[in-house]
Amino acid sequence: MKKHLLKIILPAFAIVMAAGLAFATEESNLPYVGYIATESGYAEIQTDCPNVGQNQCYEGLDPVFNDIGLTDPKLRN
Amino acid sequence: MSYKGIYSKLVTLFSLLLTILFVYTAVSKLNHLDTFHLRLERMPYISSYASLISLGVPFLELVIAGLLWFSKYRTIALYASFILLGLFTTYIIIVLKYSDSIPCSCGGVISALGWKDHILLNITFMVLALLGILWSKKQYKIQATQKSVQ
Repeated sequence: MKKHLLKIILPAFAIVMAAGLAFATEESNLPYVGYIATESGYAEIQTDCPNVGQNQCYEGLDPVFNDIGLTDPKLRN
Repeated sequence: MSYKGIYSKLVTLFSLLLTILFVYTAVSKLNHLDTFHLRLERMPYISSYASLISLGVPFLELVIAGLLWFSKYRTIALYASFILLGLFTTYIIIVLKYSDSIPCSCGGVISALGWKDHILLNITFMVLALLGILWSKKQYKIQATQKSVQ
């Protein structure tokens, strides 16, 4: 019985729990919307920057902002 | 409790933790495969391999998570875990040190961590995999000694 628990139930439990957790935290894995400056004004982009921290987020060489006015910078740790 | 029992239980515990990590990250990636592919395309040095990596890494993670539960393949799976985590950690360190473009964190709730915390998490799991390898070998040696005594 103990062997059965270790060999089948424990890994099955771990796999189901991990898969469940992945679906439960699905939203945290989605990219955020950000804005970068372009020649014609601004462009909306998908970014991974969580806007938490003190450092400016960049998309390539372009700084990323929270607003279309490009005044509120998106931040990361 | 005998040493053999302790090592065996610890290796099982480490396998459990590695399984949770790999299944969690693999399902997170596969759940949003397009986003993962897009993120890889933005990463420095590896963007040209984005298609291969976006499918290969989650597949490899699931295979390793499965192999960790077959005693015959457990040591190989622990080595594979150590190498996979090592490659990823090395890549992050190189990017943070030498690349101008530092990509943002990604991968489920782990994305809440900064890159430095991400490296610490990876190193912790690498240590678990390494201890698992060492203690699996120790376990085999104890079993071999017991067999030769009998």
